[in-house]
Amino acid sequence: MKTPIDLHADVAEVLVTEAAIQAKVLELGRQISDDYRGRDLTLVSVLKGSLPFMADLMRAIDVPVRIDLMEVSSYGGATTESSGLVRILKDLSASIAGEDVLLVEDIIDTGLTLNYLLRYLRGKNPASLRICTLLDKPARRLVEIPVDYTGFTIEDRFVVGYGLDYGELYRNLRFVGVLRPEVYSTGS
Amino acid sequence: MSEAETGAAPIDHPPAVPVAAASQPDAQPGPAFAHASEAELSRILDFYDVRWDYEPHIFPILWNTDGDVLESFAPDFYLPDLDLYVEMTTLRQKLVRKKNRKLRRLRELYPDVRIKLFYARDFRALMLKYGRLALADELTGTSGQVTPERPYAELLAGPFGVTVAGPAGIEGPVLVEAGPPIAAVVSAAGPALPDRRSTRSHRRRRRSRLTQPAIQSEAN
Repeated sequence: MKTPIDLHADVAEVLVTEAAIQAKVLELGRQISDDYRGRDLTLVSVLKGSLPFMADLMRAIDVPVRIDLMEVSSYGGATTESSGLVRILKDLSASIAGEDVLLVEDIIDTGLTLNYLLRYLRGKNPASLRICTLLDKPARRLVEIPVDYTGFTIEDRFVVGYGLDYGELYRNLRFVGVLRPEVYSTGS
Repeated sequence: MSEAETGAAPIDHPPAVPVAAASQPDAQPGPAFAHASEAELSRILDFYDVRWDYEPHIFPILWNTDGDVLESFAPDFYLPDLDLYVEMTTLRQKLVRKKNRKLRRLRELYPDVRIKLFYARDFRALMLKYGRLALADELTGTSGQVTPERPYAELLAGPFGVTVAGPAGIEGPVLVEAGPPIAAVVSAAGPALPDRRSTRSHRRRRRSRLTQPAIQSEAN
């Protein structure tokens, strides 16, 4: 019989509390609202990790917003071996040409995915393209990308929760926590 | 050892020496990586459509009083679109210390060169992120599939007529005796540089002659 996973017990430390996240989301929402006042804004979120942040952030913004979702394949995922190249698994559902676009990310570490997405989105000729991330892990950065809105700059640890997963689990935690090393060391 | 310590006159350090043609994802065939972790990183870069060259440049980092290159550093990757060098270090701790020293020296001499050092823990984190932790565990701490050390002299021997001499049984930098001074070689920019294929085949030819660790200075 499969041992049930205790999501909370697998977390060694809470890095960003739920209260801190919500306060930061409100702060970012106010800032973004001020910056985009009088303009139409399109929020583009990248599935799946950004989903909770996107859901909270869009409600913290008080200027008119459209939302759209994208999903790209991840290295090491099921699609890697077939093509060897990143693929757009879900594209934008509407044109962003001439639109002010804010790309909403859960975390930026190497910057490889974001770098690819930015190039892709720039090719769709938005009026402006900015980046908002809840978490920034600069120690891992390979591609330097200027980030316009950052929630928390975190240390170099493997984090889960609030959308971030390990093996597709832990996304529903309401905080951002550090996963116990034994969880991934044992491959559970 | 710095120039001040050697008493040498200040040297106008030459730019890095290009040693190989670009290796693009669609190039045929791919480069012979020194370590499986490098091959893995190349696949990741390919996946995210980031162009890379494998060991395209050698940076001299130590000269003797005659201006001859004693030691060099050849970062594993150059990402031209990002103007960034990446050096992978998943080797044993002793080699990591050597590499750290070389990296410090490189940064002193070439402050405009942007280089990112990937330690074993960085590689492990990357693999964890991509669900390939088993691969990181398998590779970390190994000294590579080919050879961990690629002597500068070996890379230059063909195109620049460099010969290698060094006392047997002594580990560390060796004296590199170049035909023309290395600065002249660089500034002239005239000598035909080997393409990747000729460089690799050259390495294969030379390896059998450079199997004694005593006469090898690590290139990275």
